[in-house]
Amino acid sequence: MKHLTPINKKARLVDQAVENGHLDEVVAMQVVVGCASTMDPGWEVDPFGSVAALCAPMEADLYGCSDPCWWPAQVPDTINSYPDWNAKAASAQNDWRALQSVFPKD
Amino acid sequence: MGQKPRGPGRWPGLLLGAVAGGVVFGGALTVAQDALADDGRMQGRALVEERCSACHQKEADGSLHRIDHVRKTPEGWTMTLFRMRQFHGVALSDEEQRTLVRYFADRQGLAPEEAAPYRYVLERRPSVVEEPVTDGDLTVMCARCHSVARVGLQRRDEDEWRRLVNFHLGQWPTIEYSAQGRDRKWWEIASTEIPQTLGGKFPFRTDAWTSWQAAPKPDLSGRWAVAGHRAGIGSYGGTATVTKEATKDGDGYRIAYDLTDSAGKPLKGEGRSTVFTGYEWRGTGTLDGKPVREVFAASRDGSRLDGRWFLTQQDEVGGSLHAVRAGGADSTILGTSQSFLKAGSTARITLWGSGLDRGEVGFGPGVSAKILSRGPTSVTVEATAAADAVPGARSLTVGGAKSAGFAVYATLDSIRVEPDFTIARVGGNGGPVPPMTAQFEAVGYLNGPDSKPGTADDVRVGPMPASWSVEPFNDAAAQMEDVKFAGAMGSNGLFTPAGAGPNPQRQFGTNNIGDLKVVGTVIDGSATLTGTGRLISTVQRWNDPPIH
Repeated sequence: MKHLTPINKKARLVDQAVENGHLDEVVAMQVVVGCASTMDPGWEVDPFGSVAALCAPMEADLYGCSDPCWWPAQVPDTINSYPDWNAKAASAQNDWRALQSVFPKD
Repeated sequence: MGQKPRGPGRWPGLLLGAVAGGVVFGGALTVAQDALADDGRMQGRALVEERCSACHQKEADGSLHRIDHVRKTPEGWTMTLFRMRQFHGVALSDEEQRTLVRYFADRQGLAPEEAAPYRYVLERRPSVVEEPVTDGDLTVMCARCHSVARVGLQRRDEDEWRRLVNFHLGQWPTIEYSAQGRDRKWWEIASTEIPQTLGGKFPFRTDAWTSWQAAPKPDLSGRWAVAGHRAGIGSYGGTATVTKEATKDGDGYRIAYDLTDSAGKPLKGEGRSTVFTGYEWRGTGTLDGKPVREVFAASRDGSRLDGRWFLTQQDEVGGSLHAVRAGGADSTILGTSQSFLKAGSTARITLWGSGLDRGEVGFGPGVSAKILSRGPTSVTVEATAAADAVPGARSLTVGGAKSAGFAVYATLDSIRVEPDFTIARVGGNGGPVPPMTAQFEAVGYLNGPDSKPGTADDVRVGPMPASWSVEPFNDAAAQMEDVKFAGAMGSNGLFTPAGAGPNPQRQFGTNNIGDLKVVGTVIDGSATLTGTGRLISTVQRWNDPPIH
């Protein structure tokens, strides 16, 4: 990291951490925090087989799963299969109770 | 939302119905003429021609593209037709869909032995950890989203499996960019190796299916001896009377249960069923006053029924069921009200099965059995194990019938929490998706010949009364206070997850998810034994088809 110069507080902390021998922790911090196309936590369990690294609360980014059909076996995809699934729930965090299971039990 | 919840009925998507229409026969399959004469099949084929052939073109041999080249379970066909309605706007009433499911499951189903390895998913058994598919890349390619069973319950040739891959890419185009998609030549693998492997492992034409098509299908009416086990509650047994019921598109049955639980309390139930593919029993009814579904498989000769029933709205709650013909020439022990006896103790034990009204009742050396009541389908004894009765596995005998699965013990050597790993899901809290509970049992074991616990020769004694608690499974669970937020462990080993939705009281406002160590504690004489399991209580799923 000798060619990079920290420009904010967080970056300076990263630099210090490397200097103090905490390289492994810094590497872990380089990934985007949260659910994104560069991160693939599982739906039920995280990559480590637990739940601490899941995207949770999942409602915070639920439409990041449904819009690009990221977990179509668990989350209805709105790109093709269920375009109106979240039509009545503009905010998943606030309106998640309006989201229905797409294969209803009778 | 495309589909609205349907009203109460029989099996979802499998109700009976009838339609009029022209009848055109054709297809890749050879179907006996006498079978085609069946009204239901005629109506089914007419519906296929009328509603499906606009998109599914007719091939040179008269078969319809794709449709006539796939075999599936009743649940698989239900999902296919649901998809056609949802994705492609096919106009089908619920009744027409039921007619088609019946038609397809009978004409293009799975042979009993083809479905046998994957019945757990049809039976909705919770806590099954699947074996990885060793052939090729199937675990990574298919089972990173689906169960292995979902793949194993379909039959197609290589070209048709390839079309399924094409469908996946077209319907869910980001499939190439998810983990284990973007990091390798996904399309090359998915479109070449995978269809080849699947076509070899799960081909359309098999000897098993040809044989089953030609085999006579059993009439399941009659009186049955029944036994089973409800996790966390105990064993049950008794009889069931099955009567044939003519329906619009084929045979159905009514069933009436006359059961008792392990304490002798009556357990009544009734239901109606449709039998698909000649052996796939799918029923709806009530048991102990609660709405239930039944997923049983009849044996080829119709002498047995085996499967599971579960609550209609909570399929993780249910019980196993095993049944044999009552009144047959052979004696069979299907189950017992308890699976163990402590040395130096006496217990009232009921054995359930058929032909139990004759012959000596034996529990092996050191155990005496005084018969208290007896009939063809049950015998109740007062069993006493001598203080010096040799601990270990025993065979029970009634006349010529023999059954394993019974043990005598002096002191327990270990406790195992069963299941040792499972999941629950948050739910409710005003949302439409109910919580998924998890039931644990504390099962006593003897060490067996090697005197070591946790080895293959351990002797399973049976579920014991226990006290229950949960602890954080790891540091992260402790830090996030999972024990406080994830749910409640009941005194009977039933874990009930907390409500769905973000919880503002939690760090990050996270869901009430948790990673928990489940501890079952059993008092055995002066000894206190504990066993542990692991519970991941996780988020709900919004897509909940019959086969995951």
